[in-house]
Amino acid sequence: MKIKSFLVASLVALMFLITGCGDDSSADGGEVFTAAAAKNTDSKINVQILKSLVEDQTSHEVEIVEDLPASAQIFAGIDRGEFDFANLFSGEVYNNYFDDVEYSTNPDKTLKQAQKFFGEKYDIKWYDPVGFINNYSIAVNRDFAEKNNVENLTQLEEFADEMVLGTDNAWIERDNDGYKGFQETYGYKFAEARGMDVALMYEGIANGDLDVVTAYTVDPQLKEYDLKVLKDDKHFFPPYEASLVARNSVIDENSEIDKIVESTVGLISTEEMTDLIYEVDIEKRSIKEVSEEFLKEKGMLD
Amino acid sequence: MELLSEYLTYWSEDYSSILEYMYEHILISFTVIILAVAISVPLAIYMTKMKSNKIKSLIFNIANVFQTIPTIAMLAIMIPIMGIGFTPAVVALLLYSLLPLLRNTYSGMESVSSEIIEAAKGMGFSTFQRLFKVELPVAFPYVMSGIRVTAVYIISWTTLAALIGAGGLGDLVLAGIGYNDQYMIFTGTILAIVIAVSLDLVLGRIENIVKRA
Repeated sequence: MKIKSFLVASLVALMFLITGCGDDSSADGGEVFTAAAAKNTDSKINVQILKSLVEDQTSHEVEIVEDLPASAQIFAGIDRGEFDFANLFSGEVYNNYFDDVEYSTNPDKTLKQAQKFFGEKYDIKWYDPVGFINNYSIAVNRDFAEKNNVENLTQLEEFADEMVLGTDNAWIERDNDGYKGFQETYGYKFAEARGMDVALMYEGIANGDLDVVTAYTVDPQLKEYDLKVLKDDKHFFPPYEASLVARNSVIDENSEIDKIVESTVGLISTEEMTDLIYEVDIEKRSIKEVSEEFLKEKGMLD
Repeated sequence: MELLSEYLTYWSEDYSSILEYMYEHILISFTVIILAVAISVPLAIYMTKMKSNKIKSLIFNIANVFQTIPTIAMLAIMIPIMGIGFTPAVVALLLYSLLPLLRNTYSGMESVSSEIIEAAKGMGFSTFQRLFKVELPVAFPYVMSGIRVTAVYIISWTTLAALIGAGGLGDLVLAGIGYNDQYMIFTGTILAIVIAVSLDLVLGRIENIVKRA
């Protein structure tokens, strides 16, 4: 008898749980929106900032879906109406989405093209940049750079044929802004190029297995492992300026949210973002805590 | 139709690097399979002859623990010890493949009924004669099915080698995800399947030939 009533009770609880998931109104009677972020911590911090601001200033709630593998999965979710907001980068416009886009390393032109092409294709508003830039870059050990007096990528050529490059798996295959393009622009290649997981890439250079890595400019590991980003003196890497994007149908109906997203334009510099990521990745603090502390410092949250 | 011709263009432009990834994949996975069989099968046979149950369960527990370590953690542990590339990838995959092979071989050997063994003893077979003339032939189909299942697993797990700089078809899949290129993802996946299915066919053939002999 007891077992039976337990079963009934758990079944009822399960049903509530399932129906609860389908409910999209927030505790305060507003709507529940979804914001998407990729694997990188800067994306997660940026959508958390959006969430904190929206939940503070309106009755709506924002749910975060994070650790999406890459931008293609985010766009697929936007297309299906599953994501209402996302953190994206302007340079993605060159990432094999459009045939008629004109490749450029000029930040303004790249941003304009991202706003136009993605805006039209996915019916989204691509806001002006939040401020931080997450470019690809080439980094080496600071000791090596100082000893050999290497400041920029042209000067690195002399040493390249004895260096092992560690990079993410995509960079080797990329056309315009990848390894092929790099070889065309700078006219040299490294002794070996190996694709791997980005977190393990830093382990590799710390360990001495790698000599050069393709770092992202906001990575706090640059600080942690004392690496030096070499100057891209031939302006090869396209700009990756972070922007928040929103589906037009959402902001048309909720102009207050549009205003909130506008208020994040120019909010976070690259240095500030690196510090925030450092707090999260290296000091192991929660993204929510770090983001809200930052917003309080800026006077945008009580 | 247009899709097909686009896909063929992709192949004609990139075939040398695709084949290179495939070669790396085969090299890593076959090395792991050969080493895993060379270690696990004799060990499992030896374990069936062991008197001490404690040591047996200790070995199984160790193999079990290896299998539960999350792959990305395993690779991160490997780097400070063995660096980057082929060696750490092979060692990590080897540790993962120990358990399924060990278990299958062990239970295959255990399945030989004690009556058969007693009969062989009665006929005056020595321990080694018993092993090679009686037990192994009876257990062979079990051992072989363990090897076939594990081999297919290993080929699929080898995609992880791309995370640690060892290359392989995982590189193509991950590059496709990062670079928004469905062709790369598709090609990496389909080639891994082709390798796994062909190897399984070859192993099946070997099994039949040995059985007949």
